[in-house]
Amino acid sequence: MDVDMVIDSAPNGDASSGAASAVVPPAPTAPAVPAAPAPPPSTARFSQVSESLRLEHQFARVPLEHLKKTIRTNYRLAEKEVAAVISSVAEAADRHDAVSRDDALTQLSSLVSRLQGLKRKVQGSRAENLQTQRCRARLEHLDSAANTDKLAEWKDVRLRRILVDYMLRMSYYDTAKNLAETSKIQELVDIDVFLEAKRVIDSLQNKEVAPALVWCAENKSRLKRSKSKLEFQLRLQEFIELVRADENLRAISYARKYLAPWGATYMKELQRVVATLAFRHDTECSTYKVLFEPTQWDYLVEQFKQEFCRLFGMTNEPLLNVYLQAGLTALKTPLCYKESCSKEDPLSQEGFRKLAEPLPFSKLHHSKLVCYITKELMDHENPPLVLPNGYVYSTKALEEMANKNDGKITCPRTGEVCNFTELVKAYIS
Amino acid sequence: MSDRQIRDIGFSWEFARSAEPEGLFSVEEMDLDMIQDAFDRVAKKQKLSSSKIQELIDQVRREIEQATAKLQMTENATGCSDPTSILVDLKTKLNEIAPMKQLESLQKELNVGLGKYVKIIEKCFNPDISKAYRNVDFDVHIVNQIIASHFYRQGLFDLGDCFISEANEPEAAALKSPFMEMYSILEAMRCRNLEPSLSWASKQSERLLQNGSDLELKLHQLQFVEILQNGSRSEALNYARTYLAPFASVHKVEIQKLLACLLWAGRLHESPYADFMYPSHWERLAEEFMQQFCSLLGQSFQSPLCVAIAAGVQGLPTLLKLESVMAAKKQEWQAMKQLPVPVDLGREFQFHSIFVCPVLREQGSDENPPMLMPCGHVLSKQSIAKLSKSSTRAFKCPYCPLEASVAQCKLLHF
Repeated sequence: MDVDMVIDSAPNGDASSGAASAVVPPAPTAPAVPAAPAPPPSTARFSQVSESLRLEHQFARVPLEHLKKTIRTNYRLAEKEVAAVISSVAEAADRHDAVSRDDALTQLSSLVSRLQGLKRKVQGSRAENLQTQRCRARLEHLDSAANTDKLAEWKDVRLRRILVDYMLRMSYYDTAKNLAETSKIQELVDIDVFLEAKRVIDSLQNKEVAPALVWCAENKSRLKRSKSKLEFQLRLQEFIELVRADENLRAISYARKYLAPWGATYMKELQRVVATLAFRHDTECSTYKVLFEPTQWDYLVEQFKQEFCRLFGMTNEPLLNVYLQAGLTALKTPLCYKESCSKEDPLSQEGFRKLAEPLPFSKLHHSKLVCYITKELMDHENPPLVLPNGYVYSTKALEEMANKNDGKITCPRTGEVCNFTELVKAYIS
Repeated sequence: MSDRQIRDIGFSWEFARSAEPEGLFSVEEMDLDMIQDAFDRVAKKQKLSSSKIQELIDQVRREIEQATAKLQMTENATGCSDPTSILVDLKTKLNEIAPMKQLESLQKELNVGLGKYVKIIEKCFNPDISKAYRNVDFDVHIVNQIIASHFYRQGLFDLGDCFISEANEPEAAALKSPFMEMYSILEAMRCRNLEPSLSWASKQSERLLQNGSDLELKLHQLQFVEILQNGSRSEALNYARTYLAPFASVHKVEIQKLLACLLWAGRLHESPYADFMYPSHWERLAEEFMQQFCSLLGQSFQSPLCVAIAAGVQGLPTLLKLESVMAAKKQEWQAMKQLPVPVDLGREFQFHSIFVCPVLREQGSDENPPMLMPCGHVLSKQSIAKLSKSSTRAFKCPYCPLEASVAQCKLLHF
């Protein structure tokens, strides 16, 4: 029975394959199961690449932020030095008592050398040029994705970039450097930016707050704009350390100077911490005991890392985790957890299965069928054929088998033999 | 999330996708030219600003140097003034130049340019791709093990070791030695030495055959050709007798071809079988070796990390769009058991046959398998049960005029 019916849903296979299958126009009236029009193949491939470029915000943004920071630093330096020179001249000119020639000469010459020093620093600052160059290199790299010949290479580089990002976030600096160097992608990763963070992180792990506070001062306006409480938390920890050392009087004056200004916004927290004065560092009272734990420092490290990433336009999760989670949920089907799952599916591996456990399953609105023999898609061009025992394989596979075996078909899974003529076509939408 | 809600999101998603070419679902080409031009403008501004600052510094310095010269002139006492008035003059001059004001305005202008560029970047790229990230347990140890296996599988042994020691994951080295073996065999093959691969293949002979692979034969064939190329006809003949003969019954034609090559010993390139010598032959065989090696190891051919990340790159845009549509329902985002919309992945990610009943739009399962109706259309068991209302009455197929009864429907195995 060969009934050729037009089924009023989307064509077999995924929309992006877009091969010669008829384009079914979308239903004119609304929401009930419209067909997604299939885009033509060549632009579909390219638009997929283009979509993936949109995900590269961090890639383009980080060197830019780094450049902005260098520009800011150089400007502040120039501002400071020039202001000092101007005010020094003004001060000398406004003196009421007579100034000797020699004194004047000495002063002026020191100002000149100060300016010369400034100029050397500003001119010699190759940092701005290097960073500008890096910004350009990043954009060029994104552009090179359009080169379809080298697309496989480009994708491989992307995976390495993602891995370097992971290494840096996890503080595996040696591996990061190693990977970047062997892959020759130093321009495409942000090791130098993370090394700046490393200094602060190391010091925090050493229970020193000073470098972190310096960093906060350097980035004061931006931290303020994002309403960051990092500085406050650092100050709280310093206070705790004073209490721990039984330096209560110093702690109180510290609190007056550095904690009070934050009281308006974070009164409760301030009160809780300051209350530790009444207890000692070996208190058993749980509310306050936790404040003396060394894990507080780990918490500070995390807070710093987050602020740092935010300031530089980085995601607050490693890129690897973001992409991996997305990939796992897109791939996750109940069939992945069966013994018969193909080894080519990442979710056939124990580690991937575990990671995917809390994630939602993927969903399909239309059937997607894969031939057991050839692993190819069974769609309009290669429709599924049904054996008498109910097992299904693709037309191409079964035709090939029949040609090699005098029209006989042997089911690879059950061993049953039948004739090619006994096969029935199935219509799947 | 209720089934109804899930369906609603699914339908409005599909509708929006087909009806709305712009906006949330548009896939315009990213305009890198525009971004690059914008950056060039900013870079120009920055260079200009930088050189202006240097000019300013020079200007101030020159004024001071002039004042210094005037001061020194007083030694000769002609038309000279006293130091204080020179200093006052200098101060006035500097105030006229107003370097601080200039610096400020330079910086402001540069900042405006930078700010504009930042806005362009934020518009052209998705500013936060971690929005769709779910805060679930993502075990660092598992991730590290996956990465270590990836490094070893790619042949990056030093890197893998460095990583394992830095990450402190000694158990992650499980796959190191098998892959080292694989790469040493491949290296030998690259140098046209087939010994290691032959010895591996003979150890795995049975398993290779079970896998449906004739790799062992192919390796022997290539070895035969190599021996022949280096001249010794009798050696080649001996080799054929020992190693090719066992395959003769199954691969008659190919072995005959090879034996015919004996006539061209030492000058195979002149024979009709010259293609046996092409490097591409070696490359293909190396690849097949890798495939079989990985398969017998219970591993995939492609690095699973590579595949998962590539799937993530394809799927993330859809997940981000979904998250933004559901932005107000954070709780449901975290708790959902199944995505309410499909994520389109390329064919290379289709590892399973998924049947979706066209009537109920539900995925097939063991409890609800696909059934073939006599007309050739396929529905899920539950759909058929619903349509037939009782198990013996015949019902009409939703897609064609033909009727069938439940008993006539055949269970399908994809």
